[in-house]
Amino acid sequence: MRPGQRTGFAVLALVVLAAPAAVNYPTLEAQVLIAALLALGFNLLLGEMGFLSFGQATFNGIGAYCTGLLIKSGWPLLAALGASAGSAALAALVVGALSTQGTGIYAVMLTFAFNEMAYYAAFEWSDLTGGDNGLRGLARPALWGVGLADPRRYYYLVAAVFLVGFFLVLRLTASPFGHVLRAIRENEHRARAVGYRVRRYKVAAFALSGALSGLAGGLFAMLYQFVPLQAIDFNTSTDIVIMGLLGGTGSVYGPLLGAAVYTLMANFLSNLWARWPLILGLLFCSLVMFLRGGLWELCAAVWRRLGALVPRSGRRNSDAGGRRAARLEDRGAA
Amino acid sequence: MLLEARGLTRRFGGHVAVNNVDLSVRGGTLHAIIGPNGAGKTTLFNLLSGELKPSAGAILFDGCAVTELDITARVRAGIGRTFQRTNIFPGLSVFENLRIAAQARSAKRAALWRRADSLGEVSARAERVLEETSLSEMAHKPARELAGGDQRLLELGVALATAPVMLLLDEPSQGLSPEDARRLIARIRALAARYTVLLIEHNMALVMELSDEITVMNFGAVLARGTPAEIRADARVREAYLGRRG
Repeated sequence: MRPGQRTGFAVLALVVLAAPAAVNYPTLEAQVLIAALLALGFNLLLGEMGFLSFGQATFNGIGAYCTGLLIKSGWPLLAALGASAGSAALAALVVGALSTQGTGIYAVMLTFAFNEMAYYAAFEWSDLTGGDNGLRGLARPALWGVGLADPRRYYYLVAAVFLVGFFLVLRLTASPFGHVLRAIRENEHRARAVGYRVRRYKVAAFALSGALSGLAGGLFAMLYQFVPLQAIDFNTSTDIVIMGLLGGTGSVYGPLLGAAVYTLMANFLSNLWARWPLILGLLFCSLVMFLRGGLWELCAAVWRRLGALVPRSGRRNSDAGGRRAARLEDRGAA
Repeated sequence: MLLEARGLTRRFGGHVAVNNVDLSVRGGTLHAIIGPNGAGKTTLFNLLSGELKPSAGAILFDGCAVTELDITARVRAGIGRTFQRTNIFPGLSVFENLRIAAQARSAKRAALWRRADSLGEVSARAERVLEETSLSEMAHKPARELAGGDQRLLELGVALATAPVMLLLDEPSQGLSPEDARRLIARIRALAARYTVLLIEHNMALVMELSDEITVMNFGAVLARGTPAEIRADARVREAYLGRRG
Protein backbone atom coordinates (compact mmCIF):
# COMPACT_ATOMS: atom_id res chain seq x y z
CA MET A 1 0.00 0.00 0.00
CA ARG A 2 1.09 3.54 -0.65
CA PRO A 3 1.60 5.79 2.41
CA GLY A 4 -1.64 7.64 1.59
CA GLN A 5 -3.51 4.36 1.41
CA ARG A 6 -2.00 3.24 4.70
CA THR A 7 -3.24 6.37 6.46
CA GLY A 8 -6.61 6.01 4.78
CA PHE A 9 -6.92 2.46 5.98
CA ALA A 10 -5.83 3.36 9.51
CA VAL A 11 -8.40 6.15 9.74
CA LEU A 12 -11.12 3.88 8.38
CA ALA A 13 -10.22 1.13 10.84
CA LEU A 14 -10.35 3.59 13.70
CA VAL A 15 -13.77 4.86 12.64
CA VAL A 16 -15.12 1.34 12.19
CA LEU A 17 -13.83 0.14 15.53
CA ALA A 18 -14.98 3.24 17.46
CA ALA A 19 -18.40 3.51 15.82
CA PRO A 20 -20.51 1.50 18.32
CA ALA A 21 -18.88 3.31 21.24
CA ALA A 22 -19.76 6.68 19.71
CA VAL A 23 -23.28 5.84 18.52
CA ASN A 24 -24.83 2.79 20.05
CA TYR A 25 -26.64 1.13 17.13
CA PRO A 26 -24.43 -1.93 16.61
CA THR A 27 -26.95 -3.86 14.52
CA LEU A 28 -27.48 -0.98 12.09
CA GLU A 29 -23.76 -0.32 11.97
CA ALA A 30 -23.10 -3.98 11.21
CA GLN A 31 -25.62 -3.69 8.39
CA VAL A 32 -23.71 -0.71 6.99
CA LEU A 33 -20.48 -2.70 6.93
CA ILE A 34 -22.18 -5.68 5.30
CA ALA A 35 -23.63 -3.39 2.62
CA ALA A 36 -20.18 -1.88 2.22
CA LEU A 37 -18.71 -5.33 1.50
CA LEU A 38 -21.36 -5.85 -1.16
CA ALA A 39 -20.66 -2.46 -2.71
CA LEU A 40 -16.95 -3.18 -2.61
CA GLY A 41 -17.47 -6.44 -4.48
CA PHE A 42 -19.65 -4.67 -7.03
CA ASN A 43 -17.11 -1.92 -7.57
CA LEU A 44 -14.32 -4.39 -8.16
CA LEU A 45 -16.20 -5.21 -11.35
CA LEU A 46 -17.54 -1.78 -12.32
CA GLY A 47 -15.00 0.70 -10.94
CA GLU A 48 -11.87 -1.34 -11.57
CA MET A 49 -12.75 -3.47 -14.58
CA GLY A 50 -15.58 -1.50 -16.16
CA PHE A 51 -18.13 -4.32 -16.06
CA LEU A 52 -21.63 -3.54 -14.80
CA SER A 53 -22.99 -6.54 -12.88
CA PHE A 54 -26.71 -6.45 -12.31
CA GLY A 55 -26.70 -9.76 -10.48
CA GLN A 56 -24.64 -9.33 -7.32
CA ALA A 57 -27.52 -10.59 -5.15
CA THR A 58 -26.92 -14.06 -6.61
CA PHE A 59 -23.64 -14.29 -4.72
CA ASN A 60 -25.00 -12.55 -1.64
CA GLY A 61 -27.88 -15.02 -1.52
CA ILE A 62 -25.73 -18.09 -2.08
CA GLY A 63 -23.42 -16.95 0.72
CA ALA A 64 -26.36 -16.34 3.05
CA TYR A 65 -28.00 -19.71 2.38
CA CYS A 66 -24.68 -21.49 2.63
CA THR A 67 -23.89 -20.03 6.04
CA GLY A 68 -27.45 -20.61 7.23
CA LEU A 69 -27.47 -24.26 6.24
CA LEU A 70 -24.00 -25.00 7.57
CA ILE A 71 -24.75 -23.34 10.91
CA LYS A 72 -27.88 -25.45 11.14
CA SER A 73 -25.80 -28.57 10.65
CA GLY A 74 -23.45 -27.49 13.38
CA TRP A 75 -20.46 -25.96 11.57
CA PRO A 76 -18.33 -23.43 13.43
CA LEU A 77 -19.02 -19.83 12.44
CA LEU A 78 -15.76 -18.96 10.70
CA ALA A 79 -15.73 -22.21 8.73
CA ALA A 80 -19.28 -21.51 7.58
CA LEU A 81 -18.34 -17.97 6.52
CA GLY A 82 -15.30 -19.29 4.68
CA ALA A 83 -17.43 -21.86 2.88
CA SER A 84 -19.88 -19.09 1.97
CA ALA A 85 -17.12 -17.03 0.40
CA GLY A 86 -15.93 -20.12 -1.46
CA SER A 87 -19.29 -21.26 -2.76
CA ALA A 88 -20.25 -17.74 -3.84
CA ALA A 89 -16.87 -17.40 -5.58
CA LEU A 90 -17.54 -20.64 -7.41
CA ALA A 91 -20.99 -19.46 -8.47
CA ALA A 92 -19.48 -16.15 -9.60
CA LEU A 93 -16.87 -18.06 -11.57
CA VAL A 94 -19.62 -19.78 -13.53
CA VAL A 95 -21.75 -16.65 -13.94
CA GLY A 96 -18.66 -14.67 -14.91
CA ALA A 97 -17.48 -17.24 -17.44
CA LEU A 98 -20.88 -17.30 -19.11
CA SER A 99 -21.72 -13.57 -18.86
CA THR A 100 -18.42 -12.30 -20.19
CA GLN A 101 -19.05 -14.20 -23.39
CA GLY A 102 -21.48 -11.44 -24.29
CA THR A 103 -20.45 -7.83 -24.70
CA GLY A 104 -22.06 -4.56 -23.65
CA ILE A 105 -25.70 -4.68 -22.70
CA TYR A 106 -25.95 -8.43 -23.42
CA ALA A 107 -23.36 -9.23 -20.79
CA VAL A 108 -25.24 -7.06 -18.29
CA MET A 109 -28.49 -8.81 -19.13
CA LEU A 110 -26.85 -12.19 -18.59
CA THR A 111 -25.86 -11.31 -15.02
CA PHE A 112 -29.48 -10.27 -14.49
CA ALA A 113 -30.81 -13.48 -16.04
CA PHE A 114 -28.62 -15.66 -13.81
CA ASN A 115 -29.86 -13.70 -10.82
CA GLU A 116 -33.46 -14.46 -11.76
CA MET A 117 -32.61 -18.14 -12.21
CA ALA A 118 -30.97 -18.27 -8.78
CA TYR A 119 -33.98 -16.50 -7.27
CA TYR A 120 -36.48 -18.98 -8.66
CA ALA A 121 -34.28 -21.88 -7.68
CA ALA A 122 -34.25 -20.59 -4.09
CA PHE A 123 -37.98 -19.93 -4.22
CA GLU A 124 -38.86 -23.40 -5.51
CA TRP A 125 -36.38 -25.38 -3.48
CA SER A 126 -38.17 -24.55 -0.25
CA ASP A 127 -37.13 -27.75 1.55
CA LEU A 128 -33.65 -26.35 1.61
CA THR A 129 -34.12 -22.57 1.64
CA GLY A 130 -37.50 -22.19 3.29
CA GLY A 131 -38.73 -20.57 0.06
CA ASP A 132 -40.87 -17.53 0.65
CA ASN A 133 -40.71 -17.96 4.42
CA GLY A 134 -36.97 -17.75 4.48
CA LEU A 135 -34.46 -19.86 6.34
CA ARG A 136 -35.28 -19.41 10.00
CA GLY A 137 -33.98 -20.21 13.44
CA LEU A 138 -30.25 -19.72 13.03
CA ALA A 139 -28.49 -19.50 16.39
CA ARG A 140 -25.21 -17.59 16.50
CA PRO A 141 -22.58 -20.04 17.71
CA ALA A 142 -19.86 -18.86 20.04
CA LEU A 143 -16.49 -18.01 18.54
CA TRP A 144 -13.53 -19.49 20.42
CA GLY A 145 -15.68 -19.68 23.54
CA VAL A 146 -16.88 -16.07 23.25
CA GLY A 147 -20.64 -15.79 22.91
CA LEU A 148 -21.83 -13.53 20.08
CA ALA A 149 -25.44 -13.10 21.13
CA ASP A 150 -24.66 -9.54 22.21
CA PRO A 151 -25.10 -7.32 19.11
CA ARG A 152 -22.00 -5.33 19.95
CA ARG A 153 -19.82 -8.42 20.03
CA TYR A 154 -21.24 -9.56 16.73
CA TYR A 155 -20.55 -6.10 15.33
CA TYR A 156 -16.88 -6.53 16.12
CA LEU A 157 -16.80 -9.80 14.24
CA VAL A 158 -18.40 -8.09 11.22
CA ALA A 159 -15.95 -5.19 11.58
CA ALA A 160 -12.98 -7.56 11.61
CA VAL A 161 -14.18 -9.41 8.51
CA PHE A 162 -14.93 -6.12 6.77
CA LEU A 163 -11.51 -4.66 7.52
CA VAL A 164 -9.76 -7.80 6.31
CA GLY A 165 -11.86 -7.71 3.13
CA PHE A 166 -11.16 -4.03 2.56
CA PHE A 167 -7.46 -4.54 3.16
CA LEU A 168 -7.43 -7.31 0.56
CA VAL A 169 -9.17 -5.05 -1.95
CA LEU A 170 -6.57 -2.34 -1.35
CA ARG A 171 -3.79 -4.87 -1.94
CA LEU A 172 -5.56 -6.11 -5.03
CA THR A 173 -5.92 -2.66 -6.60
CA ALA A 174 -2.17 -2.06 -6.21
CA SER A 175 -1.22 -5.51 -7.58
CA PRO A 176 -0.25 -6.39 -11.15
CA PHE A 177 -3.63 -8.14 -11.44
CA GLY A 178 -5.47 -4.97 -10.38
CA HIS A 179 -3.56 -2.94 -12.94
CA VAL A 180 -4.61 -5.36 -15.68
CA LEU A 181 -8.25 -4.92 -14.64
CA ARG A 182 -7.92 -1.16 -15.13
CA ALA A 183 -6.28 -1.68 -18.51
CA ILE A 184 -9.27 -3.84 -19.49
CA ARG A 185 -11.59 -1.07 -18.30
CA GLU A 186 -9.75 1.53 -20.37
CA ASN A 187 -9.36 -0.48 -23.57
CA GLU A 188 -10.18 -4.15 -23.66
CA HIS A 189 -9.07 -4.60 -27.24
CA ARG A 190 -5.63 -3.16 -26.63
CA ALA A 191 -5.26 -5.17 -23.42
CA ARG A 192 -5.66 -8.27 -25.56
CA ALA A 193 -3.30 -6.87 -28.19
CA VAL A 194 -0.46 -6.34 -25.70
CA GLY A 195 -0.75 -9.93 -24.53
CA TYR A 196 -3.38 -10.40 -21.81
CA ARG A 197 -5.94 -13.20 -21.83
CA VAL A 198 -8.74 -10.79 -21.02
CA ARG A 199 -11.45 -13.39 -20.42
CA ARG A 200 -9.45 -15.11 -17.68
CA TYR A 201 -8.94 -11.83 -15.83
CA LYS A 202 -12.63 -11.04 -16.06
CA VAL A 203 -13.65 -14.42 -14.70
CA ALA A 204 -11.09 -14.19 -11.89
CA ALA A 205 -12.40 -10.72 -10.98
CA PHE A 206 -15.91 -12.15 -10.89
CA ALA A 207 -14.79 -14.89 -8.50
CA LEU A 208 -13.16 -12.36 -6.15
CA SER A 209 -16.22 -10.13 -6.30
CA GLY A 210 -18.39 -13.17 -5.58
CA ALA A 211 -16.27 -14.13 -2.57
CA LEU A 212 -16.73 -10.68 -1.02
CA SER A 213 -20.47 -10.77 -1.71
CA GLY A 214 -20.79 -14.30 -0.31
CA LEU A 215 -19.00 -13.24 2.84
CA ALA A 216 -21.41 -10.32 3.17
CA GLY A 217 -24.35 -12.70 2.69
CA GLY A 218 -23.08 -15.02 5.42
CA LEU A 219 -22.56 -12.15 7.85
CA PHE A 220 -26.05 -10.87 7.06
CA ALA A 221 -27.60 -14.29 7.72
CA MET A 222 -26.03 -14.42 11.15
CA LEU A 223 -26.83 -10.77 11.91
CA TYR A 224 -30.58 -11.33 11.67
CA GLN A 225 -30.32 -15.09 12.32
CA PHE A 226 -32.51 -15.50 9.31
CA VAL A 227 -32.14 -15.64 5.52
CA PRO A 228 -35.03 -13.92 3.75
CA LEU A 229 -35.72 -14.82 0.12
CA GLN A 230 -35.00 -11.14 -0.51
CA ALA A 231 -31.28 -11.89 0.00
CA ILE A 232 -31.14 -13.39 -3.49
CA ASP A 233 -33.79 -11.13 -5.02
CA PHE A 234 -32.99 -9.01 -8.06
CA ASN A 235 -34.10 -5.92 -6.11
CA THR A 236 -31.13 -6.45 -3.84
CA SER A 237 -28.89 -6.40 -6.92
CA THR A 238 -30.42 -3.06 -7.85
CA ASP A 239 -29.77 -1.74 -4.34
CA ILE A 240 -26.13 -2.73 -4.69
CA VAL A 241 -25.84 -0.95 -8.05
CA ILE A 242 -27.39 2.18 -6.51
CA MET A 243 -25.02 2.08 -3.54
CA GLY A 244 -22.05 1.80 -5.84
CA LEU A 245 -23.07 4.64 -8.14
CA LEU A 246 -24.30 6.82 -5.26
CA GLY A 247 -20.90 6.72 -3.60
CA GLY A 248 -18.94 6.86 -6.83
CA THR A 249 -16.91 4.22 -8.63
CA GLY A 250 -13.72 6.23 -9.01
CA SER A 251 -12.26 5.43 -5.59
CA VAL A 252 -12.29 2.42 -3.26
CA TYR A 253 -13.88 4.66 -0.63
CA GLY A 254 -16.79 5.68 -2.88
CA PRO A 255 -18.74 2.42 -2.51
CA LEU A 256 -18.26 2.50 1.27
CA LEU A 257 -19.77 5.96 1.42
CA GLY A 258 -22.59 4.94 -0.92
CA ALA A 259 -23.38 1.86 1.16
CA ALA A 260 -23.41 3.90 4.36
CA VAL A 261 -25.62 6.67 2.97
CA TYR A 262 -28.01 4.20 1.36
CA THR A 263 -28.36 1.98 4.42
CA LEU A 264 -28.82 4.88 6.82
CA MET A 265 -31.35 6.57 4.53
CA ALA A 266 -33.28 3.32 4.17
CA ASN A 267 -33.31 2.95 7.92
CA PHE A 268 -34.28 6.43 9.05
CA LEU A 269 -36.39 7.67 6.16
CA SER A 270 -38.48 4.52 5.87
CA ASN A 271 -39.62 5.11 9.46
CA LEU A 272 -40.72 8.63 8.63
CA TRP A 273 -42.20 8.21 5.19
CA ALA A 274 -43.16 5.04 3.36
CA ARG A 275 -42.34 6.60 -0.02
CA TRP A 276 -38.76 7.46 0.89
CA PRO A 277 -37.38 5.79 -2.24
CA LEU A 278 -38.69 8.88 -4.06
CA ILE A 279 -36.08 10.96 -2.27
CA LEU A 280 -33.45 8.36 -3.04
CA GLY A 281 -34.54 8.40 -6.68
CA LEU A 282 -34.18 12.17 -6.89
CA LEU A 283 -30.77 12.05 -5.28
CA PHE A 284 -29.72 9.27 -7.60
CA CYS A 285 -30.95 11.06 -10.73
CA SER A 286 -29.25 14.31 -9.84
CA LEU A 287 -25.98 12.52 -9.15
CA VAL A 288 -26.12 10.67 -12.44
CA MET A 289 -26.96 13.88 -14.30
CA PHE A 290 -24.64 16.34 -12.61
CA LEU A 291 -22.00 14.45 -10.70
CA ARG A 292 -20.90 11.22 -12.31
CA GLY A 293 -18.25 10.71 -9.67
CA GLY A 294 -20.91 10.30 -6.99
CA LEU A 295 -20.92 11.52 -3.40
CA TRP A 296 -17.25 10.73 -2.96
CA GLU A 297 -16.38 13.10 -5.80
CA LEU A 298 -18.63 15.71 -4.19
CA CYS A 299 -16.78 15.36 -0.89
CA ALA A 300 -13.46 15.62 -2.71
CA ALA A 301 -14.60 18.78 -4.53
CA VAL A 302 -15.81 20.39 -1.31
CA TRP A 303 -12.54 19.49 0.36
CA ARG A 304 -10.58 21.09 -2.50
CA ARG A 305 -12.66 24.25 -2.15
CA LEU A 306 -11.98 24.39 1.56
CA GLY A 307 -8.30 23.83 0.85
CA ALA A 308 -8.32 26.81 -1.52
CA LEU A 309 -9.84 29.03 1.18
CA VAL A 310 -7.02 28.35 3.62
CA PRO A 311 -4.52 31.26 3.50
CA ARG A 312 -1.30 30.51 1.68
CA SER A 313 0.93 30.64 4.71
CA GLY A 314 -1.18 28.03 6.39
CA ARG A 315 -0.46 25.49 3.68
CA ARG A 316 2.53 23.25 3.61
CA ASN A 317 3.58 22.45 0.08
CA SER A 318 1.03 24.24 -2.05
CA ASP A 319 2.58 22.61 -5.12
CA ALA A 320 2.32 19.05 -3.88
CA GLY A 321 -0.94 18.19 -5.53
CA GLY A 322 -0.35 14.49 -5.07
CA ARG A 323 0.22 14.89 -1.39
CA ARG A 324 -2.90 16.98 -1.08
CA ALA A 325 -4.91 14.38 -2.93
CA ALA A 326 -3.53 11.78 -0.53
CA ARG A 327 -4.49 13.85 2.47
CA LEU A 328 -7.86 14.37 0.92
CA GLU A 329 -8.35 10.63 0.68
CA ASP A 330 -7.41 10.21 4.29
CA ARG A 331 -9.77 12.88 5.47
CA GLY A 332 -12.61 11.67 3.33
CA ALA A 333 -12.34 8.22 4.83
CA ALA A 334 -13.16 9.72 8.18
CA MET B 1 13.00 -15.32 -43.35
CA LEU B 2 11.61 -14.04 -40.07
CA LEU B 3 8.04 -13.78 -41.31
CA GLU B 4 6.56 -15.71 -44.17
CA ALA B 5 2.99 -15.76 -45.44
CA ARG B 6 1.92 -18.26 -48.08
CA GLY B 7 -1.29 -18.06 -50.07
CA LEU B 8 -2.90 -15.83 -47.47
CA THR B 9 -6.57 -15.23 -48.29
CA ARG B 10 -9.38 -13.59 -46.37
CA ARG B 11 -12.96 -13.39 -47.58
CA PHE B 12 -15.74 -11.28 -46.08
CA GLY B 13 -18.87 -12.85 -47.53
CA GLY B 14 -18.43 -12.56 -51.28
CA HIS B 15 -15.71 -9.93 -51.05
CA VAL B 16 -12.10 -11.12 -51.17
CA ALA B 17 -10.17 -8.55 -49.12
CA VAL B 18 -6.85 -10.38 -49.28
CA ASN B 19 -6.32 -12.70 -52.22
CA ASN B 20 -3.60 -15.36 -52.24
CA VAL B 21 -0.85 -13.11 -50.89
CA ASP B 22 2.71 -14.36 -50.46
CA LEU B 23 4.97 -12.23 -48.32
CA SER B 24 8.50 -12.76 -47.05
CA VAL B 25 10.18 -10.43 -44.61
CA ARG B 26 13.86 -10.95 -43.88
CA GLY B 27 15.02 -10.44 -40.31
CA GLY B 28 16.57 -7.02 -39.66
CA THR B 29 15.00 -5.30 -42.66
CA LEU B 30 12.33 -2.67 -43.06
CA HIS B 31 9.63 -3.85 -45.40
CA ALA B 32 6.85 -1.51 -46.51
CA ILE B 33 3.42 -2.37 -47.86
CA ILE B 34 1.87 0.28 -50.03
CA GLY B 35 -1.18 0.46 -52.24
CA PRO B 36 -4.29 2.55 -52.89
CA ASN B 37 -7.08 2.76 -50.33
CA GLY B 38 -9.00 -0.49 -50.06
CA ALA B 39 -6.10 -2.55 -51.42
CA GLY B 40 -6.30 -4.86 -48.38
CA LYS B 41 -3.23 -3.63 -46.49
CA THR B 42 -4.84 -3.36 -43.08
CA THR B 43 -6.67 -6.67 -43.52
CA LEU B 44 -3.31 -8.27 -44.30
CA PHE B 45 -1.94 -6.72 -41.09
CA ASN B 46 -4.88 -8.08 -39.13
CA LEU B 47 -4.13 -11.53 -40.51
CA LEU B 48 -0.44 -11.27 -39.66
CA SER B 49 -1.02 -9.95 -36.13
CA GLY B 50 -3.70 -12.53 -35.35
CA GLU B 51 -6.59 -10.11 -35.13
CA LEU B 52 -8.30 -12.04 -37.94
CA LYS B 53 -8.13 -15.68 -38.94
CA PRO B 54 -7.29 -16.28 -42.61
CA SER B 55 -9.80 -18.09 -44.82
CA ALA B 56 -6.86 -19.89 -46.41
CA GLY B 57 -3.08 -19.84 -46.29
CA ALA B 58 -0.38 -20.15 -43.66
CA ILE B 59 1.84 -17.83 -41.65
CA LEU B 60 5.30 -18.76 -40.38
CA PHE B 61 7.08 -16.66 -37.81
CA ASP B 62 10.69 -17.50 -37.07
CA GLY B 63 10.10 -20.91 -38.65
CA CYS B 64 7.04 -21.76 -36.53
CA ALA B 65 3.49 -21.97 -37.82
CA VAL B 66 1.50 -19.22 -36.06
CA THR B 67 -1.60 -19.36 -38.28
CA GLU B 68 -3.78 -20.78 -35.50
CA LEU B 69 -2.49 -18.48 -32.74
CA ASP B 70 -4.66 -15.54 -31.68
CA ILE B 71 -3.39 -11.99 -31.21
CA THR B 72 -2.45 -12.52 -27.55
CA ALA B 73 -0.32 -15.56 -28.35
CA ARG B 74 1.35 -13.82 -31.29
CA VAL B 75 2.34 -10.82 -29.16
CA ARG B 76 3.94 -13.26 -26.78
CA ALA B 77 5.70 -14.90 -29.71
CA GLY B 78 7.21 -11.49 -30.53
CA ILE B 79 4.92 -9.86 -33.10
CA GLY B 80 4.06 -6.39 -31.82
CA ARG B 81 1.78 -4.02 -33.68
CA THR B 82 0.41 -0.50 -33.73
CA PHE B 83 -2.97 0.52 -35.05
CA GLN B 84 -4.04 2.94 -37.74
CA ARG B 85 -6.43 4.60 -35.32
CA THR B 86 -4.72 5.40 -32.05
CA ASN B 87 -5.44 2.56 -29.67
CA ILE B 88 -4.09 3.33 -26.20
CA PHE B 89 -5.41 3.29 -22.61
CA PRO B 90 -6.87 6.81 -22.49
CA GLY B 91 -7.53 7.10 -18.74
CA LEU B 92 -4.15 5.72 -17.66
CA SER B 93 -1.00 7.80 -17.40
CA VAL B 94 1.57 7.66 -20.18
CA PHE B 95 3.92 5.72 -17.93
CA GLU B 96 1.19 3.27 -16.91
CA ASN B 97 0.34 2.71 -20.60
CA LEU B 98 3.89 1.55 -21.16
CA ARG B 99 4.20 -0.24 -17.83
CA ILE B 100 1.05 -2.32 -18.34
CA ALA B 101 2.24 -3.29 -21.82
CA ALA B 102 5.62 -4.32 -20.42
CA GLN B 103 3.93 -6.22 -17.59
CA ALA B 104 2.24 -8.50 -20.13
CA ARG B 105 5.64 -10.11 -20.78
CA SER B 106 6.38 -10.69 -17.08
CA ALA B 107 5.79 -14.09 -15.45
CA LYS B 108 4.19 -12.21 -12.54
CA ARG B 109 1.74 -10.32 -14.73
CA ALA B 110 -1.31 -11.70 -12.86
CA ALA B 111 0.12 -11.69 -9.31
CA LEU B 112 -2.37 -10.69 -6.61
CA TRP B 113 -0.20 -10.40 -3.56
CA ARG B 114 2.59 -8.05 -4.59
CA ARG B 115 2.68 -4.46 -5.69
CA ALA B 116 2.73 -3.78 -9.41
CA ASP B 117 5.54 -1.24 -8.96
CA SER B 118 7.69 -3.89 -7.31
CA LEU B 119 8.17 -5.64 -10.66
CA GLY B 120 11.59 -4.11 -11.29
CA GLU B 121 12.28 -5.33 -14.81
CA VAL B 122 8.79 -4.23 -15.92
CA SER B 123 9.21 -0.67 -14.65
CA ALA B 124 12.72 -0.57 -16.11
CA ARG B 125 11.49 -1.49 -19.58
CA ALA B 126 8.70 1.08 -19.34
CA GLU B 127 11.30 3.72 -18.37
CA ARG B 128 13.49 2.75 -21.33
CA VAL B 129 10.62 3.05 -23.79
CA LEU B 130 9.58 6.32 -22.17
CA GLU B 131 13.00 7.75 -22.98
CA GLU B 132 13.11 6.16 -26.42
CA THR B 133 9.85 7.86 -27.36
CA SER B 134 10.85 11.13 -25.61
CA LEU B 135 7.64 11.14 -23.63
CA SER B 136 9.40 11.42 -20.25
CA GLU B 137 8.14 14.93 -19.61
CA MET B 138 4.51 13.87 -19.78
CA ALA B 139 4.96 10.51 -18.04
CA HIS B 140 2.29 11.25 -15.46
CA LYS B 141 -0.28 12.86 -17.75
CA PRO B 142 -3.36 10.82 -18.63
CA ALA B 143 -2.87 9.54 -22.19
CA ARG B 144 -6.08 11.22 -23.39
CA GLU B 145 -4.64 14.66 -22.62
CA LEU B 146 -1.73 14.22 -25.03
CA ALA B 147 -1.57 16.03 -28.36
CA GLY B 148 -2.24 13.91 -31.45
CA GLY B 149 1.41 13.51 -32.39
CA ASP B 150 2.37 12.44 -28.90
CA GLN B 151 -0.48 9.95 -28.85
CA ARG B 152 0.92 8.39 -32.03
CA LEU B 153 4.28 8.13 -30.28
CA LEU B 154 2.66 6.51 -27.29
CA GLU B 155 0.90 4.09 -29.62
CA LEU B 156 4.33 3.11 -30.89
CA GLY B 157 5.69 2.99 -27.35
CA VAL B 158 2.98 0.58 -26.17
CA ALA B 159 3.98 -1.80 -28.96
CA LEU B 160 7.69 -1.42 -28.10
CA ALA B 161 7.05 -2.08 -24.41
CA THR B 162 5.79 -5.57 -25.22
CA ALA B 163 9.40 -6.38 -26.24
CA PRO B 164 8.67 -7.48 -29.80
CA VAL B 165 11.06 -9.11 -32.25
CA MET B 166 9.07 -7.74 -35.15
CA LEU B 167 7.00 -4.58 -35.35
CA LEU B 168 3.94 -4.14 -37.55
CA LEU B 169 3.32 -0.40 -37.94
CA ASP B 170 -0.03 0.54 -39.48
CA GLU B 171 0.24 4.06 -40.91
CA PRO B 172 2.26 5.55 -38.07
CA SER B 173 2.26 9.01 -39.70
CA GLN B 174 -1.53 9.09 -39.97
CA GLY B 175 -2.86 12.45 -38.81
CA LEU B 176 0.56 13.96 -38.13
CA SER B 177 1.73 17.39 -39.19
CA PRO B 178 4.62 17.35 -41.73
CA GLU B 179 6.93 18.38 -38.92
CA ASP B 180 5.82 15.51 -36.65
CA ALA B 181 5.93 13.10 -39.57
CA ARG B 182 9.58 14.01 -40.17
CA ARG B 183 10.43 13.37 -36.55
CA LEU B 184 8.66 10.05 -36.79
CA ILE B 185 10.77 9.03 -39.79
CA ALA B 186 13.89 9.56 -37.74
CA ARG B 187 12.46 7.45 -34.97
CA ILE B 188 11.41 4.61 -37.26
CA ARG B 189 14.83 4.62 -38.86
CA ALA B 190 16.35 4.21 -35.40
CA LEU B 191 13.94 1.37 -34.65
CA ALA B 192 14.76 -0.40 -37.90
CA ALA B 193 18.31 -0.91 -36.64
CA ARG B 194 17.03 -3.05 -33.76
CA TYR B 195 13.76 -4.56 -34.96
CA THR B 196 12.40 -6.12 -38.08
CA VAL B 197 9.74 -3.68 -39.24
CA LEU B 198 6.74 -4.18 -41.49
CA LEU B 199 5.20 -0.84 -42.34
CA ILE B 200 1.98 0.30 -43.98
CA GLU B 201 2.34 3.88 -45.10
CA HIS B 202 0.73 6.35 -47.46
CA ASN B 203 3.48 8.90 -47.23
CA MET B 204 5.48 7.94 -50.31
CA ALA B 205 8.55 10.03 -49.48
CA LEU B 206 8.74 8.31 -46.13
CA VAL B 207 8.42 4.86 -47.67
CA MET B 208 11.03 5.41 -50.36
CA GLU B 209 13.47 6.80 -47.85
CA LEU B 210 13.14 4.09 -45.22
CA SER B 211 12.40 0.80 -46.91
CA ASP B 212 14.73 -2.02 -47.82
CA GLU B 213 11.95 -3.70 -49.69
CA ILE B 214 8.45 -2.75 -50.82
CA THR B 215 5.37 -4.83 -51.58
CA VAL B 216 2.65 -3.09 -53.57
CA MET B 217 -0.93 -4.29 -53.16
CA ASN B 218 -3.98 -3.60 -55.26
CA PHE B 219 -7.43 -5.19 -55.09
CA GLY B 220 -6.30 -7.54 -52.32
CA ALA B 221 -3.44 -9.05 -54.31
CA VAL B 222 0.27 -8.38 -54.65
CA LEU B 223 0.89 -6.15 -57.66
CA ALA B 224 4.65 -5.81 -57.43
CA ARG B 225 7.57 -6.21 -55.08
CA GLY B 226 11.12 -4.96 -55.07
CA THR B 227 13.53 -2.33 -53.83
CA PRO B 228 12.37 1.30 -53.72
CA ALA B 229 14.20 1.99 -56.99
CA GLU B 230 12.52 -0.94 -58.73
CA ILE B 231 9.10 0.07 -57.46
CA ARG B 232 9.63 3.66 -58.55
CA ALA B 233 10.36 2.42 -62.06
CA ASP B 234 7.49 -0.07 -62.24
CA ALA B 235 4.86 0.91 -64.79
CA ARG B 236 2.08 -1.19 -63.21
CA VAL B 237 2.54 0.60 -59.90
CA ARG B 238 2.29 4.01 -61.53
CA GLU B 239 -0.85 2.91 -63.25
CA ALA B 240 -2.47 1.69 -60.03
CA TYR B 241 -1.70 4.97 -58.31
CA LEU B 242 -2.21 7.47 -61.08
CA GLY B 243 -4.54 5.72 -63.48
CA ARG B 244 -3.73 4.82 -67.10
CA ARG B 245 -2.39 7.70 -69.11
CA GLY B 246 -4.24 8.40 -72.32
